[in-house]
Amino acid sequence: MEAIVEFSHITMDFPGVRANDDVSLSIRRGEIFALVGENGAGKSTLMNILYGIHTPTAGSVTIHGKPVVRFDPKAAIAAGVGMVHQHFMLVPSFTVTENIVLSREPRKGIFCDRREARRQVEALSREYGLEVEPDSRVRDLSVGQQQRVEILKTLYRGAEILILDEPTAVLTPQETNELFTVLRRVVRERGMTVILITHKLYEVAAVSQRVGVMRRGRLVGVADTASVSQRQLAGMMVGREMQPTAPRQPLRLGEEKVHIQNLCVANSRGLPAVRDLSLTLRAGEILGIAAVEGNGQSELLEAIAGMRPFQGEIQVNGRSIRGLSPGQVRSLGLAHVPEDRLRTGVDPEASVAENLVAGRHRAPRFARFGVHLRKKAIREYAEGLYRAFDIRGAGADTEAGSLSGGNMQKTVIAREMSAGAEVLLIAQPTRGVDIGAVEFIHSQILAQRDGGAAILLSSADLDEILTLSDRIITLYEGRVTGEYTGEFSKTELGLGMTGGGKEATHEA
Amino acid sequence: MGDILTAGLLRQMLRSATPVALAAMGGAMTEHAGVMNIGMDGMILIGAFAAVAVSAVTGSAWLGVLAAIAAGILVGMFFALFVVKFKSDEFIIGTALNIFAGGLTVFLLGAIFGVRGTLRTQAGLPAVEIPVLRDIPFVGEVLSGNSLFVYLTVLLAWGMWALVYRTPWGYHLRAAGEHPGALRTAGISPEGRQWQASILCGALCGLAGAQLALGNVSMFSEGMSNSRGYVAFACVIFGAANPGKAYLAALMFGFFDALGYRLQEYQISANLTSMIPYLITVAMMVYVVLRGERRRAAGRA
Amino acid sequence: MKRRNLGSYFLSLGLSILLALGVGAAIMAVTGYHPWEAYRALFQGATGCGELGDLPSLLTQRQFGNTVEYAMVLFLTGLACALGARAGIFNVGGEGQLYLGAIVSAYIGVVLAGLSPWVVIPAAALGAMAVGAFYAWIPGVLKVKCKVNEVITTIMLNSVAIFFCAYLSNGPWKTANPNRVSGTDPLEAVYRFPQLIRGSNLTSAIFASAVIALLVWYVMSRTTTGFEMKLTGHNPRFARFLGLNVDNIVIAAMSVSGAICGLVGMFQVYGVKGHYQDGISNEYYFDGLLVAMIMGYRPVGIIVMSFFFAFLKVGAAGMELNAGVPGELYRIIQSVVIFFLAAEGGVKALLARKKTKKEAANHG
Repeated sequence: MEAIVEFSHITMDFPGVRANDDVSLSIRRGEIFALVGENGAGKSTLMNILYGIHTPTAGSVTIHGKPVVRFDPKAAIAAGVGMVHQHFMLVPSFTVTENIVLSREPRKGIFCDRREARRQVEALSREYGLEVEPDSRVRDLSVGQQQRVEILKTLYRGAEILILDEPTAVLTPQETNELFTVLRRVVRERGMTVILITHKLYEVAAVSQRVGVMRRGRLVGVADTASVSQRQLAGMMVGREMQPTAPRQPLRLGEEKVHIQNLCVANSRGLPAVRDLSLTLRAGEILGIAAVEGNGQSELLEAIAGMRPFQGEIQVNGRSIRGLSPGQVRSLGLAHVPEDRLRTGVDPEASVAENLVAGRHRAPRFARFGVHLRKKAIREYAEGLYRAFDIRGAGADTEAGSLSGGNMQKTVIAREMSAGAEVLLIAQPTRGVDIGAVEFIHSQILAQRDGGAAILLSSADLDEILTLSDRIITLYEGRVTGEYTGEFSKTELGLGMTGGGKEATHEA
Repeated sequence: MGDILTAGLLRQMLRSATPVALAAMGGAMTEHAGVMNIGMDGMILIGAFAAVAVSAVTGSAWLGVLAAIAAGILVGMFFALFVVKFKSDEFIIGTALNIFAGGLTVFLLGAIFGVRGTLRTQAGLPAVEIPVLRDIPFVGEVLSGNSLFVYLTVLLAWGMWALVYRTPWGYHLRAAGEHPGALRTAGISPEGRQWQASILCGALCGLAGAQLALGNVSMFSEGMSNSRGYVAFACVIFGAANPGKAYLAALMFGFFDALGYRLQEYQISANLTSMIPYLITVAMMVYVVLRGERRRAAGRA
Repeated sequence: MKRRNLGSYFLSLGLSILLALGVGAAIMAVTGYHPWEAYRALFQGATGCGELGDLPSLLTQRQFGNTVEYAMVLFLTGLACALGARAGIFNVGGEGQLYLGAIVSAYIGVVLAGLSPWVVIPAAALGAMAVGAFYAWIPGVLKVKCKVNEVITTIMLNSVAIFFCAYLSNGPWKTANPNRVSGTDPLEAVYRFPQLIRGSNLTSAIFASAVIALLVWYVMSRTTTGFEMKLTGHNPRFARFLGLNVDNIVIAAMSVSGAICGLVGMFQVYGVKGHYQDGISNEYYFDGLLVAMIMGYRPVGIIVMSFFFAFLKVGAAGMELNAGVPGELYRIIQSVVIFFLAAEGGVKALLARKKTKKEAANHG
C-alpha cells in the first residue's frame, strides 16, 4: 500500500528533553492510524512536526513523496495536512462559518461574501455528514460540536491527511461514537487518511486499522490492530513488566486522616470531573492515583485542598472542610504540592528563601509579634532547607524564577514537606525534574510516609506511582476503576487507567 | 427647566462627542487586537498640537489635519514598537506616553512659538451648511453648520464597523485579540494585525486631536485633551469595542458634557457641572461589569 | 538580596538616564537652544550655586530648599504609588486624593481657627488622610469586587475631585477676602509649618515625611504585611493558595496609598501655601508615579531617585527663567527614561527568545 506520509529518523530536542528519538514511521493512504502512548511519550511532538509547528532537530518528513523543506503550518496546510489540536483553535465569539473560513474567506470586493461562505460551509457539512449550525457562535456549542467545526475547518482548507490530537479526551461516549462514524466515513468515501493520537485502548480497537506505540520519545512498535490485544498494547505502552520498588520500611498504618464520601467535583468548564468518588487515606501510607491526565485527579486534589467547590463530603483530620478557604484547610494540618508549580506553587519574583517560608511567615520563629520579619532567622532556616533539599541555584537569596524547573520543584516540595503536615497532597512531584533530583524527591516522600504522614500522590508517570505507593487506585473519567495492593501486573493497571478493567479489584 | 433640551445643547453634544468618538474608534481597533491602549490621551494631545502648529505656520487647516494624522501614525508606531515588538507593559508605556506628550507639546509650544499655555491659529475647519436640512427648524439648527468632521465621524463609525465586522481584515483583527493561536495556525501573524491596529489607532487619535483643536476651537492649549483619551477608552469598553456602539457611548459623554454647559445657564457652578461627564464615565464602567455579570448569570440559568 | 540583578538594574538605569539627558540635549539642539548652557542653568536653578565650588553656601539657598521640598513630594507620592503597585493595583488617582486632602485640611484649619495647633494640625492631618483613603478605597473596591479597571476609574475620579475642590474653593468654602477670586481663608500663622530655609518651600513637614517614608519602607520591606502585599502583587493565585485574603490586602494597600496622597495635599497647604487654592498641585502625583515606575516600585530607590528628579524639576524652572528653555523638558526627560528602560528590557527579551529558538535548532 502506498505511503502518504513518511517520517524517517526524526529526532526532536527541546531544552533539556529529547521528545522524539530516531522515529521512523510511514502512514498509508486511506487508513486510520492510531498513535498511542503515555503522557510525554512524544506523540504530539511528532504530529506537530508533521503540521509544521516544530522543525525537527534531525531526520526528514515526506508528504505525498515530496520531502518537506520548510516546516510551517502554512506549507503543511498547502500540502494537505490538517490538524485538530487538543485545545481547539477556534475563536469563541465567531460563528461556525466565520471560524471555518478564517484566513480563506470568500470575498466580494473588499468585503467577506458571507452568503457564499455560509453556502460553502453548508455544502461541506452535508457532503461529510458533519452536522453544524453555520450561524451559531462557537462559544455556545458543546465540545463535540466544536470538534466538528475543527474537522470541517481542516476539510475546508482541503486537507487529505487529518491529525486528531486526543480528540475523545473531552467527548461524551455518544459524541465519541459519532466522531468515529464520521472518521470511518471520510476514510471510506473520500479516501482521506486519519492519524489519531489517543490514550484509550478500546478506541484503538474500535476505529483504527493500524496502531503505533510510543514510549519515552521512541516508537516501540507498529502493528495491525486486529493482530494485537489491548493487554499487549498496554504492556508496550508502560514498558517492561517489572515493578521497581524503593527500599522502604514496612507499612505502619495509623488513624484515618482523610475521609471522602460520594465526592463530585466539576472542572473549570463546569463539566463533571470527579464522579461519586469515595476513599479513605490513613496515616503512614502513600495512596497513589494512577490515571491518564484529565481523568479527574487534578480536580480531586484541588477539592481536598479547599481550592475547588464540591458536592459530597471531605474530612481532613476528622473535620469537614465544606466552606473552608485554602488557608483554613491548611491549618487543619494539610500541605499541598500543586500540579502547576509555576502558576500556583511559587512566586517567581520573590527570592527562594521567601518562597520557602511563605505561608508560615507569621510564625513566631520568623516574625516578631507576627509583624517584624526576622530576616536572619528566615535566611538561616531557608539555607538549611536549601541544603537539606539539595536545591541547586545561585543561593537562597536569588529569585525563584531563575531556578531550573527541577530546583523550583524542590523548593515547593521543601516548603510543603517541612510544614509538619499530617496530610500531604502531592501532584506531579517530579515532572520536568532531572533524574538525579527524582530519586532525592522520592526519598523525601518516603521519609514523610515513614514519619507518619498520610500522602495522596498523583502522577502522570506510572513508574513513579508504582515505586512509591503502598496502595494504588486507578481513576478513569472521574471514577475509581480499581484498587491495587500487593502483587499485580502493570498491564492490569494500564487496563484500569484506560477503562479496560472497569470493575477490577486486585488484591494479593 | 423644561426647556433644557435645546438645539444648542444637541449641537454642543455633537461637538463634544466627535473627538472622543474618533479616538474611541481607534481604541476599538487596538482593543480588538488584544492591546490595551491607555496611551490614547497622549496621542490626541500630540495630534492636536501638530494640527495647530502646522496650520498656524502654513495657514491651512487641511495641512494641519494631515499633520495631525501623520503625527498620530508615528506615535502609533512608537506605541506598537514597545507593546507589540518588545512586549513591554501596556500600562507603563501608555502612562509614560501620556506624560511624554504633555511635556513635549508644552516644550515645543515654548521652543517653536515662544508662547506658554496656548497657541491660536487663524485657520479652522470650515462649517458645513447642508442645504434643505438647514431650513428645517430645530433639526437644521442641530445638524447643519457643524464642522466637517462631525459628519465624517458618523460615516466613519459605519465604515469602521463594516471594516471590523464585514471584511477579512476585520475578522483577522478580532481573531488576533481573541484567540491568537487560531489565527497563527491559519497562517496569519497576530502581531502584524496588532501593529496595523496600533497605527490605525494613532491616526484616528491624531484626527481626534485635529478636530478638538481646529474643529472646536482653533487653538491649542496645554493639556487640552483633558483626559478625553481615557474617556474614549471607557467608551471602547462600554461599546464592547464595537465602533458603532463606541460612537453612541461618545455621544452619551457629549450629551452630559453639553448638559454641563447648559446647566451653567441656570446658575449652577461650572465646576459642579464639569464633574458630570467624568462621573458618567465611571458609572459606564461599572455598568458594563454589572451587565456582564447579569448576562453570565442568565446564561447559567 | 538579589544583588546581581540589582547591579545590572543600576547599570541600565544609569544608562537610560544618560541617554534621556542626551535626548533632551538633542531636542534642545534641534529647537535652537544651547544644550550645555541649558543644563548649566538647570544645575544653578536647582542648587542656587553658580559654580560647583559654591557648595558651602548651599544650605542657605532658597533653590536648594525648594529642591528638597519637591523631593519630599516626589518620594511621598512615589511611595504611595508603590504601595498599591506592590499589591497589584495601580493608583493613578493620587492627584485627586491630594487635592481632596489639601482642601479638607485647609477647611479644618479654618473651622477650628482659634484652637491650639496641637489640636488643629493632627485633626487636619487625620482629615486629609481619611478623605484621601476613602477616595482611593472607591476604585479599590470597584476593582476587587467588580473587576472595574482601576486606571480608568482613578483618572476619571481625578477630574471629578479637582472640579469638586474648585467648586468648594469658589463657592461654599471660599475666602471672605474680596481681593481673592477663589481659595479658602488663610490659615492662622501658628498653624503653619515653620520654614527651614528662609524664603524656600522647605518646612518642618520634611521631618514628618521622613518618618512616613521610613515607615513605608519598613512596612514594605521588613514586615509580614509587606511580604503578603508582595506575594499578592506578584502572583495572586499563589497568595490565595497560601491562604492569604487577597481582596483585603489590595483594598488596604490602595487606601493607605490614598491616605498618603491626602497628607501630601495637607503638607502643601500647611507648609507651602497657607491656604487652599486651585491648581495647588501641578500634576505632582504623576511626577511621583513616574519616579516609582522608573525605580520598579522599590522604596529606597524611590527615595533616592526623588532627589534627582526634584533636582531636575526645580532646576528646569530655573533653566526656563535664566536660559529661556521651557521647563517642560523635565517631563520629557523623565518619560524618556521609562522608554529606554522598557526598550532595554524588550530588546533583552527579544534576544533571549531568538537565542532559545536558535539553540533548539542547533541541538543534536
